[in-house]
Amino acid sequence: MIPFVAVVSLSRQPSRTFRLWIPLFLIWLLLLPLAILLSPFLFIACLACRVNPFRGVAVVWQILTALTHTEVGFEHRSAGMSFHIL
Amino acid sequence: MNEHRRQILQMLAEGKISADEAERLIAACEQPASSASSDSGATTGKPRPKYLRVQVDALEDEGHGGPKKVNVRVPIQLLRAGVKLAGLVPPQALEKANRELQQKGIPLDLTQIKPDNLEELIEHLSDLTVDVDSNEGHEKVKVRVYCE
Repeated sequence: MIPFVAVVSLSRQPSRTFRLWIPLFLIWLLLLPLAILLSPFLFIACLACRVNPFRGVAVVWQILTALTHTEVGFEHRSAGMSFHIL
Repeated sequence: MNEHRRQILQMLAEGKISADEAERLIAACEQPASSASSDSGATTGKPRPKYLRVQVDALEDEGHGGPKKVNVRVPIQLLRAGVKLAGLVPPQALEKANRELQQKGIPLDLTQIKPDNLEELIEHLSDLTVDVDSNEGHEKVKVRVYCE
């Protein structure tokens, strides 16, 4: 399953955390028509580079699905920022 | 006691088979069960890691700011997909990357790295734990890389 939501957490003090929920599914919905429009060009580009386009699509899909549960966090003094893909 | 063993002992008691034959039959009955249990132990004994964790803790001396922490968790599945993506890189691009690496003094031949090798590398990541402690100037840095 591709990730649907990403959460960005920002904290300046330990007790105050601001969380921003990013609906990734909207981004996928916006990108889908673009991907469909660009697919013939991508297909030709893959053939020009001698890459199997179907394998390429499969790998990109695997990367998208594997992004779930990725987490990156930084903290400095009492401030911190984290990015979590759900 | 399972059904097969009971039947064998019954046959032994009735004198249909000798003690040696009974022993061989029981051993034959137990063999697949023990091998199956050892197989399942190999898969369930050590759970496969799901994530690669990188933690950096930097403690600075007083007057130079507070502690810094970096915490990154990457799914192993993402590494696997990345390896597959690297497998799609055309040979011409790899040769170009090789030339650039050699110019930078890194004697690495990317064309020799096969997807199978990288798969094997990822498989063995579960045994990986890297702990680095360093004192650089006024900063103490601790880096931990492990799978969980």
